[in-house]
Amino acid sequence: MDEEMGGLSEDDFEIPPVKYEYLDHTADVQLHAWGDSLKETFEQCGMAMFGYMTELDYVQIKEVHTIEATADDMMGLLYHFLDELLFLFSVEPFLICKKLEITEFNTEEFRIVCKCFGEEFQIGRHPQGTEVKAITYSAMQVIDEPKDNNQLTGNKQSEKTHIYWANGILISKSMISYLVFL
Amino acid sequence: MVVRQYNEELKYLEKINPYCWRIKKGFQPNMNVEGVFYVNGTLEKLMLDELRNACRPGMTGGFLPGVKQIANVAALPGIVGRSVGLPDVHSGYGFAIGNMAAFDMADPKSIVSPGGVGFDINCGVRLLRTNLSEKDVQPVKEQLAQSLFDHIPVGVGSKGIIPMNARDLEEALEMGMDWSLREGYVWAEDKEHCEEYGRMLNADPSKVSLRAKKRGLPQLGTLGAGNHYAEIQVVDEIYDKYAAGKMGIERLGQVCIMIHSGSRGFGHQVATDALVQMEKAMKRDQIETNDRQLACARINSTEGQDYLKAMAAAANFAWVNRSSMTFLTRQAFAKQFKMAPDDLDMHVIYDVSHNVAKAEEHVVDGKLKTLLVHRKGSTRAFPPHHPLIPVDYQLTGQPVLIGGTMGTCSYGRALSRAKSRRNIDYKEVLTKMENMGISIRVASPKLVMEESPESYKNVTDVVNTCHAAGISKKSVKLRPIAVIKG
Repeated sequence: MDEEMGGLSEDDFEIPPVKYEYLDHTADVQLHAWGDSLKETFEQCGMAMFGYMTELDYVQIKEVHTIEATADDMMGLLYHFLDELLFLFSVEPFLICKKLEITEFNTEEFRIVCKCFGEEFQIGRHPQGTEVKAITYSAMQVIDEPKDNNQLTGNKQSEKTHIYWANGILISKSMISYLVFL
Repeated sequence: MVVRQYNEELKYLEKINPYCWRIKKGFQPNMNVEGVFYVNGTLEKLMLDELRNACRPGMTGGFLPGVKQIANVAALPGIVGRSVGLPDVHSGYGFAIGNMAAFDMADPKSIVSPGGVGFDINCGVRLLRTNLSEKDVQPVKEQLAQSLFDHIPVGVGSKGIIPMNARDLEEALEMGMDWSLREGYVWAEDKEHCEEYGRMLNADPSKVSLRAKKRGLPQLGTLGAGNHYAEIQVVDEIYDKYAAGKMGIERLGQVCIMIHSGSRGFGHQVATDALVQMEKAMKRDQIETNDRQLACARINSTEGQDYLKAMAAAANFAWVNRSSMTFLTRQAFAKQFKMAPDDLDMHVIYDVSHNVAKAEEHVVDGKLKTLLVHRKGSTRAFPPHHPLIPVDYQLTGQPVLIGGTMGTCSYGRALSRAKSRRNIDYKEVLTKMENMGISIRVASPKLVMEESPESYKNVTDVVNTCHAAGISKKSVKLRPIAVIKG
């Protein structure tokens, strides 16, 4: 750890690739995130939420905060994870996150510990996007079945083609889609 | 949800008159009462299209259409009368937005549901008048819009500028507008023209979580984002001279200010906390509903009572919030015109909530009953001589404020957010507004597209349906000349 960089190491400044998108929904927005593991997908989903609140290109990594979320099931875990992130933004330290790194991802006890990298949100420096007021369970899907989905999608390699629309739910490799209530 | 063909579904719907449809029992399971909704030709099409889309094969995973939601609410325990969809009705969380439902408080099985109030507790509209004319404002319109934008904190991440600490917040939650009055932010007569006189007496801040208070503190006195706005409007048409006069609206071109805002993150947290508690209470008390989003608790249960007390605190938060912005608006006008707000006659015409649950007395089947009335995206419209409306409006009935968005008179989403952003160009919207003579200040350019007039149902349809169905009578039409948004 380098003190001059505010307790941040060089690796912490590496920005992960974007693996999320925003989907159509009346009145609200639906986030779709994916990844090679459920852990990565959770991280992406959180970053997708912050990306809707501002343009992440304008956000610098200046500080790191740690959050914890616990729940009774997987959907609950996603819900509380996002709710904790929203809380981190809504009160001191008013943190807008550019990068999330889950350090503990316990899918048996449903517990997450996550390092949140970013800086204090400041009007003027950060463009104001859409306000996320609350997380809801509406149309939330957590899918962690890589094999089945490969069959469904014919195992195509290009990013666009491995996404599949069915029953109003996007299915891709291992994915999460959820709704935020605006 | 019962899955049937669209044609089968239509058998449960009956058009009683050109503006009113009946939803018969059986449309959804276990309906205790019938449903009803008010629409005109245009709104009817939107409503039925939503249902038709939901009936398409493979659409079961999506959201419920408003008409189904009205029917699900009709199946809740203790509901009396009918589950009502007002002209702007559209799909929401559990309850449709624009849904009204009343529950008999004497019935021990009756419930209260946070979904019936909405996440933004006491979201509402406040209208201020001035004695200025359009010709006074036109030359300084841009400066005035900028000044309002500078005075009122708007958009994501904005913080209130009225000094508050944790203790102030506790008092504000308990006292509502009485707190604003004590602190000198509003005038005594403002309270008179506010639903509940700006204070719900059953508010209990001790029933509100620390998390909600933490979220609420920095946001008090902020407009918010999304469909919230502050607008400078001018009187475009007076339909009822007498009623307009009672509101202090005397002439065409008179300048008014409309503020549409709610309880911000505070209300959302109160609603979220209650939903968690109520899911547990439902299991314990074996309350079954058609939709998981209709989480509820018996009115007389601890969870039900705690929610009502916390909700009342959130309602007070919203009134203090709108009051703080009233103060900031008066300051902005006073500075611009170098006159005291008093001399500009900047009185509150009315402040009415459209997301709230309240105990009220109503006559049901010839009997006077105490009901818990849930109003979500719908405002009350009390008639002349009703005891709960101020003396100034005793002869006209309570003013009903129906707000538009982004300047055009429009309300109620017809296009989704994402679709709006794809199809509507940001600059195009701004140019269009400019051509209409509307100044706009907006924190987020994205929002301009999402909230652009094309995205919404036409408010004229909504107002005309209310008028034709006899729900309310048109008295004044206001046209925006400047818009401030998140």
